[in-house]
Amino acid sequence: MGKAGAGTEQVKERNQRGWSREFLGEVTRVSPVMGDSSLITFAAPEGLVASARSGHFVEILCRSDESYDPLLRRPYSIYAAGAKKHELTILVRPYGRGSRWLCNQPVGATLDVLGPLGNRFEIASKSGNLLMVAGGVGAAPLVMLATEAVRNGLSVTYLMGAMTAEGLLASQLLPGQVEYVVATDDGSQGHHGFVTDLVPNYLRWADQIFSCGPEAMFRSLRSVVLANRFGSHPPVQVSVERAMACGVGACLGCVVETRSGMKASCVDGPVFDMDQVVWS
Amino acid sequence: MTGTAIRPDLSVDLAPNNPRELVLRNPVIPASGCFGYGLEYGGILDVQRLGAFVSKGITPRPRSGNRMPRITEVPAGMLNAIGLQNPGIRGFIRKYPRIWEHWDVPAIVNISAERVEDYAMMARKLDEQPGIAAIEVNISCPNVAAGGYCFGWDTGMSRDVTRSVREATTLPVIVKLSPGAQDIVSIAEAVEDAGADAISLINTLVGMAIDTRARKPVLANETGGLSGPAVKPVAVRMVYQVAGVVRIPVIGMGGISRLGDALEFLMAGASAIQVGTAIFSQPGMLLALIDDLEAWMVQNGVTGLREIVGAANPGFRAHDRHELDLATGYLDR
Repeated sequence: MGKAGAGTEQVKERNQRGWSREFLGEVTRVSPVMGDSSLITFAAPEGLVASARSGHFVEILCRSDESYDPLLRRPYSIYAAGAKKHELTILVRPYGRGSRWLCNQPVGATLDVLGPLGNRFEIASKSGNLLMVAGGVGAAPLVMLATEAVRNGLSVTYLMGAMTAEGLLASQLLPGQVEYVVATDDGSQGHHGFVTDLVPNYLRWADQIFSCGPEAMFRSLRSVVLANRFGSHPPVQVSVERAMACGVGACLGCVVETRSGMKASCVDGPVFDMDQVVWS
Repeated sequence: MTGTAIRPDLSVDLAPNNPRELVLRNPVIPASGCFGYGLEYGGILDVQRLGAFVSKGITPRPRSGNRMPRITEVPAGMLNAIGLQNPGIRGFIRKYPRIWEHWDVPAIVNISAERVEDYAMMARKLDEQPGIAAIEVNISCPNVAAGGYCFGWDTGMSRDVTRSVREATTLPVIVKLSPGAQDIVSIAEAVEDAGADAISLINTLVGMAIDTRARKPVLANETGGLSGPAVKPVAVRMVYQVAGVVRIPVIGMGGISRLGDALEFLMAGASAIQVGTAIFSQPGMLLALIDDLEAWMVQNGVTGLREIVGAANPGFRAHDRHELDLATGYLDR
């Protein structure tokens, strides 16, 4: 009675049937990246890996079944899918209780995963030049997007900002064809200042802009774009982060106010058109 | 072990006094606000295996809900102030009954309003719809400043709402009680007296968390409903008190996340249980709970839930046999 992990056996069974988005995946690799962060790769059912697109995220239960802390799952954008057919990779920075727990999981540990969830970045068919603007762990979904775009013969410029050089993504993690330009708050590498300072140089070139990072970066990006672009071109897609519970649109705890009402960032997002979001 | 174990009976009728009945094949029900409209979890678990499910709270008119942040985590629980974001009764009726009509699992619609007439209006509209098994009346949502929460804190108003819904529909009516009521037992008695088929409890407890850096409450709504394992002892106590007095089935909820929790509620006198917050963390646990309960019954030689409902509650077991059949919802059918 009251056996720990009432759900575990059930999840294992469904893993075998392979249709549920709640699954158990064994950690297969952990590599340090961006200073204190980790790239965590774990096993996932092949069908789910095949369905993963850039912008999608997974929710991970960052505790054992015996614990209630932290209670809720934590959302992480997918960094890579399908390098091997049955693996997903996420980028985790150990800043909260959940993420610290996750970064401490060794190879061989089992993760309770829900996903892939959410919508995706959409590259318009006419777009040839893509500008990506990444801040911190917001780099993750844009790495996947850049990789997809390059594979399809598109030109990608990837701008990344961090506090220090150590917090930047190593250039070899991006495909060689990507133009990678960086900015640091302390000037230790690249442009000394905000990553968004670099954006005006690319506004005429870019057909679309994709961004993921902290809310403050979005505000800065928005003002730079609004001040420099013509009309609504290029359009900007942003992947937002909200405190989230269910991840499937049931609880409505993670909404984003848009011009067409309150949208759940877990199912209507996390990717939104910047011009559709009501920025408070 | 000799021979094959008899498969235990997990079914229950939550409206034994109502000709329309509310027969569930098992007592596990996702709670309102934690399971959307049943569709959201379709890619994650087999929804049709559940005993029933309760929809998100529906209001007379569409609501866009509260500002963000709407949720925050607290020790062994969470606070939420969603603010009843929903498409309103008309928008709801356009979309969901025609889907649910083709489902096996009974769909229970949760309704919330700020005026007695509006509760009745919604109940009347729902009565005509296909695909709806019962109505759960929220007289206790703590999140809407001008909202219905006050109904659930007052015996007279709880009775008025229940009676108006009862008169507006022949569907089974479940009234969901607020733990904020000063005397939960007298509210339960009033609701039973006014014609409720069953009582569910508890709704969330009103709580608050402060962002000490910003020096203000974390939630935009300031207060929020506390749910999760943290509230379980309060919920078990209230189920025990209410089930010891009323003669209609009680549906227990509050922090259930595994079999041991569910058994506590059943033994306190709940004929069925609802699961809420735990779904967000482990949706697969809903079905595991059904399997684990069945396995536990086999292991313990329990052939039907009526044997354990109220087993720890002398007040409940003191009802005479017929009352007990009605109260547990395990009347011979």
